[in-house]
Amino acid sequence: MIRRHTFDIVAVALVAIGFVLAMGAPPDRLQGDVQRLMYVHVPAAWVAYLAFAVTLVGSVGWLVSRRRRWDRLAASSAEVGVVFTGLAIALGSLWGKPIWGVWWTWDARLVTTALLFIVYLGYLALRRAVADPETRARRSAILGVVAFVQVPIVHMSVVWWRTLHQPPTVLRPDQHPTMDHDMLMALLVNVAAFTAVYAALVRRRAAVARLEAEADAHTDRHAPLAGDAVIAPRLEGAVDG
Amino acid sequence: MIPAVGVAAVLFVVLAFGDLRGNLVYYLTTSEAVDRQGQFGDQRRFRLAGHVVEDSVRPTAAGAAFSMTDGVTTIEVVHTGAPPQLFRSGIDVVLEGSWDEGRFASDTMMIKHDEQYCAPEREERHCPSRTPAADAAPADGASR
Repeated sequence: MIRRHTFDIVAVALVAIGFVLAMGAPPDRLQGDVQRLMYVHVPAAWVAYLAFAVTLVGSVGWLVSRRRRWDRLAASSAEVGVVFTGLAIALGSLWGKPIWGVWWTWDARLVTTALLFIVYLGYLALRRAVADPETRARRSAILGVVAFVQVPIVHMSVVWWRTLHQPPTVLRPDQHPTMDHDMLMALLVNVAAFTAVYAALVRRRAAVARLEAEADAHTDRHAPLAGDAVIAPRLEGAVDG
Repeated sequence: MIPAVGVAAVLFVVLAFGDLRGNLVYYLTTSEAVDRQGQFGDQRRFRLAGHVVEDSVRPTAAGAAFSMTDGVTTIEVVHTGAPPQLFRSGIDVVLEGSWDEGRFASDTMMIKHDEQYCAPEREERHCPSRTPAADAAPADGASR
């Protein structure tokens, strides 16, 4: 019983520590307290990258081994990843309004992130559009591999193109982080906390997916569908076409 | 699989080499804006980014007037509307507007904050003051 909840307990503890550090870190010299949104916006974006990387791993794992559990991992991770992508966009928007002066602008980072969100929503839609588990796993795996191309593009968009969004502070291609040490510590702990929340969510989602697959396997596909016995009403005087 | 790769290849070529008539460039630097002044005239709207020159900000009845530079070329800007809270001299801004008799008439201003984060009392230790030359953004696409 304790082992089953270890992930959850670690996640909750890290979130609590992260919150205390985020509130205790010094405010930014220019942005003031609004900058504290960084401690949730950046981890959310990081988890989105991580989630889609795990979907890539799960997809490749399925293509190589044809074991269902890889497919379930890919699906669960993509689902959580979409939530965190949406969260990163929403939190970024909340940060953008007071600092940039706009909720949204059509720069490369924002547009590529929106595309990332939409393409993985498409991935989830694809999973619901195919009934046969084998076909669904194959098509999803291919999309799970191809769609990951976007992640490095999103991350490097601020380096490759001119944007309103700032270039990376921590994962910079060339230099050390350009951030106060206390802020960096708070950020890294929050990244760890979000990662733990992600792991706990994916673990639970994958367990549900396994139960769904088992229930599915017990379903008789040739049984009559609900509603089959209902006969469509005919209007009086209607002529059969 | 093959159609997907084909679509991806076409997209890549269009994005990398097509330039879509310059529409993919999010903003122009002040030097580029001056270069294209003749071509744009006073009608065409575009985004312009640069560094607000120290002590150049003057409040006006309709908004603010200031000078903006990329370290090489300086442009006089007349902005209409209330600037965002963070607006001050020495910060990077992105403006939307058009040329107006040699000055840039802007009606939308966005603050382009940089990637430096530091505490107020520790400014000297972690945040070396930036020079306008450090703002020079990479040219779109190819370089870097």
